[in-house]
Amino acid sequence: MSLAEVLRLPVALRRATLTKAFIPQPILASRAYTPTFQHLQRRHGTTDAAPHTTSSSVNHTEVSHFNALASSWWDPQGSSRLLHLMNPLRHRFIRRCLAYDDRDEAQKLRYLDIGCGGGIFAESAARLSTTRSVTAIDPTPEVIAVAKRHQRTDPSLLEAGRLTYLNTAIEDLPNHDDGRYDIITLFEVIEHIQRPSPFLQSCISHLKPGGWLIGSTIARTPVSWFTTKLVAEDLLRIVPRGTHNWNQYIQPQEMRDWARMQPELSTSDGIDWQVMGVVYVPGVGWRQVKGSEAWGNYFFGVRKRWDAE
Amino acid sequence: MALTRSVAFRKLLALPPDVRRRLWSSAVSVTPGKPDIYDVVCIGGGPAGLSFASALKAHSATRALKVALIDAQDITTSRTGNDGDAYSNRCSSLTPASSRFLRKIGAWDHINTGRVQPYHAMDVWDGVSGSKIHFDPRRYEAGSDYGVVATMCENGNLTAALLQRLQALTTGDAGAGSVCDILDKTKVESIELGPQPETEETVDLSQWPIVMTSQGQLAARLLVGADGANSPVRQFVDIPSHGWDYGQHGVVATLELEQTFAADEVRTAFQRFLPTGPIALLPLPGNKASLVWSTSPQHAAKLKQLPPNDFVAMVSAAFRLMPVDVNFMLSPDMAVTPSEELRWREPATSPSSTGLPSTFPWITGVQEGSIASFPLRMRHADTYTGHRVALIGDAAHTIHPLAGQGLNLGLADAEALANQITYGMEHGMDIGSSWCLDGYNSERWAANNAMLGVVDKLQKLYSASAGPVVWSRSLGLEAVERMSWVKGALMGVAAGAK
Ligand SMILES: Cc1cc2nc3c(=O)[nH]c(=O)nc-3n(C[C@H](O)[C@H](O)[C@H](O)COP(=O)(O)OP(=O)(O)OC[C@H]3O[C@@H](n4cnc5c(N)ncnc54)[C@H](O)[C@@H]3O)c2cc1C
Repeated sequence: MSLAEVLRLPVALRRATLTKAFIPQPILASRAYTPTFQHLQRRHGTTDAAPHTTSSSVNHTEVSHFNALASSWWDPQGSSRLLHLMNPLRHRFIRRCLAYDDRDEAQKLRYLDIGCGGGIFAESAARLSTTRSVTAIDPTPEVIAVAKRHQRTDPSLLEAGRLTYLNTAIEDLPNHDDGRYDIITLFEVIEHIQRPSPFLQSCISHLKPGGWLIGSTIARTPVSWFTTKLVAEDLLRIVPRGTHNWNQYIQPQEMRDWARMQPELSTSDGIDWQVMGVVYVPGVGWRQVKGSEAWGNYFFGVRKRWDAE
Repeated sequence: MALTRSVAFRKLLALPPDVRRRLWSSAVSVTPGKPDIYDVVCIGGGPAGLSFASALKAHSATRALKVALIDAQDITTSRTGNDGDAYSNRCSSLTPASSRFLRKIGAWDHINTGRVQPYHAMDVWDGVSGSKIHFDPRRYEAGSDYGVVATMCENGNLTAALLQRLQALTTGDAGAGSVCDILDKTKVESIELGPQPETEETVDLSQWPIVMTSQGQLAARLLVGADGANSPVRQFVDIPSHGWDYGQHGVVATLELEQTFAADEVRTAFQRFLPTGPIALLPLPGNKASLVWSTSPQHAAKLKQLPPNDFVAMVSAAFRLMPVDVNFMLSPDMAVTPSEELRWREPATSPSSTGLPSTFPWITGVQEGSIASFPLRMRHADTYTGHRVALIGDAAHTIHPLAGQGLNLGLADAEALANQITYGMEHGMDIGSSWCLDGYNSERWAANNAMLGVVDKLQKLYSASAGPVVWSRSLGLEAVERMSWVKGALMGVAAGAK
C-alpha cells in the first residue's frame, strides 16, 4: 500500500496501518508508546471520524481543546510561548522558499493562514512591508474572538483589508480565481487533522499558480513522542496536556511522497520542495538543526506549478 | 488634560515651519481629543536618544517607522560644539565601538572632526604606592581602529552631528516617507495609559502609553526612555533603580597646556588614583585638555571657588605632589595660595616617589567659565523593558566617570535596541511587545551590569589610602604592567572592542 493511499484512509484505519508500517520499534520505544495509545483510544471514542460524509477536516475534540486554551494565546509567559518563539523561524523559512522565485519584489503578497489560532503568525505576516493582505481562518470560534480582540490593540492591523479573520474551515472558504493566495500557511495544523490528504488538496485549490503551500509539523518518531508528549506536555507542562495527538504526526518523507502524487504541485528538491528541521533548546530557543526534520519539528514548503489550474 | 483646540493651534503656530507642517498634517487627520499615534516616541534628545532615532532612520527596515523625539530643552537651535577656540567641559571618550556605530549610522560624517581628539596611549598610576601601568596599544594591535584607544569629543559636537544626521534622513528627497517629529522645548507633563475602547469594534489603546505634552498627546507603540538619570519614563513604568551615591563630586574643566600638539601627533590620556578619587587629564586638539576630577564634595566646592591661576596650580598639584600635600593644600588651614605652595613643593617632590610619567604636560590655564561639578552616583534599573517601554542610556544606568564609559554604554544601548527593532520589523513583530524587547534587555542588562560592577570595584579599591589594599593593588598594577597579554586584553576592554 502506498503512502498516499495510506494518507487517504479513514483515520482509524490509517492509525492502525501507520502504526504497523512506519513506527520504528526499538524495544524501549515500543514500550514507551503503550500509554499514549490507551490515551488515544479513549479520545478516539469522542471524535467525529466519519470517513467520507463530512466535508470538513475539523476534528471536534481539537476544537474544544483549543477553546480551553484561547485565553492564553497572547500571554508572554503562557502556554503559547513556544509558538511565539518559533514565529521568527516561520518567516525565515518562507523567505527561504521565496528566494527561489524570481517574482517582482514590488508585487505584494496575499497570505491565507489556515488554523490561525490566536493570530500569532497572521498578525506578524500582516505587519510585513511585503504583504498585501492576510486572511486568517480557524474553525474554533473562541480563538477567532481572541484573535480579533488582540488585532484591535494594534491600529496598523485595522487598516481595511490588511488582516481579516474568518471563523470557518478551509472547505467552507469561498474559492474564486481572483481571490487566490500567493502563500498558504499551515503552522502546527496537520498534526491536528484527521484526514490530511483531502484537507491538503482543498488548501492547494486556493493557491495561485506558482504559489507556496508552507507548513510546519512534527515527525512521528520516538524522539518526537518523547519531546512533545512526555516532556512538553507531561513533565514540563510547557504546553497543555492533550495538545498533541502523536498518531496524527506525519513524516517529512510521507509529506513529500504525498506532494509528488499531486499533479498540481512541483516538488524538485531544494527548489519547489523545501524542508527545514528545527529544535527547541531550553534557555536558547528554537534553532535550525540540519537533519532534525527526520525526528522532530520541521517546516515544509511546496510550490504549485506555474501551469496549474 | 486634553488641550483645547485653540491652545493646540496656537502652540502649533509657534513651532518651526518644517515641524509645524508635519505636525499639522498629522494633527488634522486625528479626531480632536484623540492622541496622535506613533510607532516610537523617544523622550530625551541627549546622545542616547538622538543616536537611537538616527539608527532607526538609517536602516531600511525601520526607516518608515513613525517616530517622535521629545526634549524639554532647545536642541534644534542651540548648537554647541563649533564655538571657536573654546571647548565645552562636557566631553566624552568615544570608544572604537562607539565610533564604529556612529559611522555605521552615518553620523560621523557630521561630526566637526577639527574638534575631536583621538588618543593612542594611557598612563595610569597609583597616587599612594606610585606603581603604574602604561597602556600603549600600538604595540598590541587593537584591531581595525588601529592604535586608537578612544576619541575625545564634546557632547555638544556629538549631539549636533546626530541631529543633523537625523534631519538629513527625514527631510528632502532622502527623507521621503520617513517621519521623525522633533518636539523640543516640550516638557513631558505626564504619561498615562490610553482610554478604554469606545465599542467592541474600535481600536483598543488601553495598554498603550500616552505621552501628555504641552504640544498635545502622543500614543506610543514603543515608548523609549532616553531621558537621563531621573528618567520620568522609568518612573512611569515603575521600574526600580538601585545603587548608591559615592559621596563624591566630579569636577570638570577645560584646561590649557604649555605645549601645542599637531593634529596627527600621538596623544596620551593620564589618570592618577588619589585616595579621594581619580583625576584624569584627557587630550583635546591643540593645547587643550579636558579635566575630570572625582573628589569629596568639600574639595569640589573649594576648587570651584579658586581663582583661575590657583585652580590650575591645584590641578597640577593633584597630578604631581604626594596625596598628603594635595589634601593639605585643600584644607581650611591652608595659609598660602595653591600657586605659592606648588612653586616650592613641586621641585622638592621626586617623580619616582609619586609615579609621575615623564611625559606629563604642564598645565598653564583654565578656560573661563568651564569649571563645574556634579554628584557621582551609581544606579542600575532592575530591567530595561516593560510592555511598550524600553530604557536606554542614563535612564537605565548611571556609572562612575572614572572609566569614561557613561556615554559609551548609552550608545551601545541605542545600537542594541535599534538592532532588536530591525529584527522585530523583519519578522513582523509588534515592536512594543516583550517578544521584540526581551532580546534587548537580555543583551544589554548583563553587559552593563558587568561594566558597572568592574568600575564600582575599581573605585572602591582605589579609594583606600593605606594598608593591605594599597599594597596589593600596587602589586596588581605592576604585575599587569609586566604581563603584556593581560594589558592587551585590558586595552581591548577599555577600548570597548567586541
Ligand atoms: C556634568 C556632567 C559631566 C559628565 N561628564 C562625563 C564625562 O566626562 N564622560 C562621560 O563618559 N560621561 C560624563 N557624564 C555622563 C554623560 O553625560 C551621560 O552618560 C550621557 O549624557 C548620557 O546620555 P543620555 O542621552 O542617556 O542622557 P542625557 O544626556 O542626560 O539626556 C537626557 C535628555 O532628556 C531630556 N529630558 C529629561 N526629562 C525630560 C522630560 N520630562 N521631558 C522632556 N525631556 C526630558 C533632557 O533635557 C536631556 O536632554 C557627565 C554627566 C554630567 C551631568
